[in-house]
Amino acid sequence: MASISFRNVTKRFGDTLAVDDVSFDIRDNAFFCLFGPPLSGKSTILKLILGLEQPDAGEILIDGRPVTHIGPAKRNVAMVFQNLALFPHMSALDNVRFPLVERRMPKAEIAAKVSAVSEKLHIGHILHKPPAQLSGGERQRVAIARALVRDPAAYLMDDPISALDARLREQTRVELRRIQQELGKTLVYVTHDQEEAMSVADGMAVLRDGRICQTGTPEELYRSPNSTYVGGMLGAPAMNVVPITMASRLSVDAAPRGADQLGVRPENLRVGVGEAGTIADVEPMGAFTTLTVQAGDTTLRATLRGQPKYTVGQPVGLSVDPGRAHFFDEGGAALESARREEERT
Amino acid sequence: MTEIVLDNLGKSFGDFTALKDMNLTIAQGEFVALLGPSGCGKSTTMNMIAGMLEPSEGQIRFDGKPMNGMPMARRGVGFVFQNYAIFTHMTVRENLAYGLKAQGVSRAETQRRVGEIAQLLQLTDLLDRRAAGLSVNILQRLAIGRSAVVEPSIFLLDEPLSNVDAAFRAVMRQELKSLQRQFKQTMVYVTHDQLEAMTMADRIAVMDHGKLLQVGTPIEVYNHPADTFVARFIGAPGMNLLDGRITGGDSGPVVDLGAAGHSGPVTAPGTGPVIFGFRPEEVHPDPNGPIQMAITMVERIGARIILHLAEGPHVAKAVLDAETQVPDQGGMIRFSVPAASVRLFDAQTERAL
Repeated sequence: MASISFRNVTKRFGDTLAVDDVSFDIRDNAFFCLFGPPLSGKSTILKLILGLEQPDAGEILIDGRPVTHIGPAKRNVAMVFQNLALFPHMSALDNVRFPLVERRMPKAEIAAKVSAVSEKLHIGHILHKPPAQLSGGERQRVAIARALVRDPAAYLMDDPISALDARLREQTRVELRRIQQELGKTLVYVTHDQEEAMSVADGMAVLRDGRICQTGTPEELYRSPNSTYVGGMLGAPAMNVVPITMASRLSVDAAPRGADQLGVRPENLRVGVGEAGTIADVEPMGAFTTLTVQAGDTTLRATLRGQPKYTVGQPVGLSVDPGRAHFFDEGGAALESARREEERT
Repeated sequence: MTEIVLDNLGKSFGDFTALKDMNLTIAQGEFVALLGPSGCGKSTTMNMIAGMLEPSEGQIRFDGKPMNGMPMARRGVGFVFQNYAIFTHMTVRENLAYGLKAQGVSRAETQRRVGEIAQLLQLTDLLDRRAAGLSVNILQRLAIGRSAVVEPSIFLLDEPLSNVDAAFRAVMRQELKSLQRQFKQTMVYVTHDQLEAMTMADRIAVMDHGKLLQVGTPIEVYNHPADTFVARFIGAPGMNLLDGRITGGDSGPVVDLGAAGHSGPVTAPGTGPVIFGFRPEEVHPDPNGPIQMAITMVERIGARIILHLAEGPHVAKAVLDAETQVPDQGGMIRFSVPAASVRLFDAQTERAL
């Protein structure tokens, strides 16, 4: 049981500002994702939570208690090894026991803790096997059991499945989420894969250059990004961000004052009869089709369900699903749409 | 531009058969992806085309000329490896020019071609940088550029994008495709990633355990998989495959799915065990639908929802638009699958019926 909060935390390495005035709250039992490109500060935040790094400024709280100056051993948070690796020469049982044996805990206490964690992760029946004889999913559960055997308040994972191939990643992320739901413990999870982040997380923070751009549920961030950056980081193909002068060509009216850029997700760009643009590429993917449309100097991408027939060079009309246009100012910050403002008043 | 014919090609390493009875004709200027899991024989096939391995059986022909025994250097193939071998002590420009110099191409021509390829791969600003210290993404681009610049008539790529990050992979897929359209080389591309094969290739050759299972355009392979392996391997998520039994219903045959209900009307020969296949996006929520399953997990991923479903021995996935109203995890969903989207497979051979 643990909530984790950062209050204006800053961490420098030499001249590099790795974490820049970061504040966020992770509620108890959350599956919380730190998402961003390489070097955006995700892994440093994990190390700050673990106590492996000390902040230069600001405060870190676990369950409301300041831990900024408490060492890693007393923080009661555990790291799950990178790539969920196990010691290959040890049985699953010895792997799980390892952190306790290392601390010279009495045997009876070790046995009790191992049995408790094994029950939670449903691995009692495979504990006698060496890792090589376990399936991928079983190995993960054993790796997580090893991290949780000390009964930490929260556990952390740093891009644990990025090395797997696409198919295995899809299976593994579902398994990780299932485990987190069963355990009901706070999990802080770092990833650079937007699909993985949205799939597993119930709360997430999008990072850039050591700063948090936006926090919220994956759905909130996807539907209402606060900047062109967040809009572009979530979703594939990425959100179309075009000059506001394109609005009339896309039949978008009611742009709010100060709008400089227009954002349209590929699945919200409607392709119909007309001459707003021409088809530059057609990518049939089976379940959906991605069209590249050239409209003047601007290239747009549209995702359509199924296998509609379009040919390169074909002229098409373009519009945007009602209420699904995003507006941004010159600096890329989101503006409330005129229509939403109207609804509110 | 060269036509490649693989004629009854086979390769054994001692007792181990890496590839057998491979028959495939790759047309001039065609982009073919060899797709399959590790150990399926795709890299073995490519290495034999390149001349790095000699076939144990069968023949490889380029434009009708047998290639067996012909050394790699004389085959006119450009090869991009998974671990791009770049000269790190050289600049980007020197790396790009290396192959042209070796071929004795004139200085003016070298300059022109290096400039052209650099522009295409967005390396122009980096031409005078040393390769050491460049990012993985840039190195991969450079590796592709270095092979492409000598304008080989056959371009072979072995998992060139497996080490680069997801965002860059999407960009490179586009670039590789436009590169190939522009230069019109015959391109053979090895990958285990069905998305890469679907987005780039003119045709996909799906392989497993040293055997070629199916060849076709991405849409042919997607819509009409030859067997359950191809059905599962192509698509993300892959096709749902439920064990059932064809029985005679009131309005014609249906596939009985036990606790999950039945398929709805299908056109089926005879009765008996069958594998009922349908794509996750062909799940249509329908309160009167004939199939009912429990929702074990709901993944909301931006534009779409993936439902994980289970009932009795069956598991399936459904892909729905983000706007669709769906029950929560733990609830039940009723749905139908349009008859035209149903694919049936033989319960024994797992081949399409």
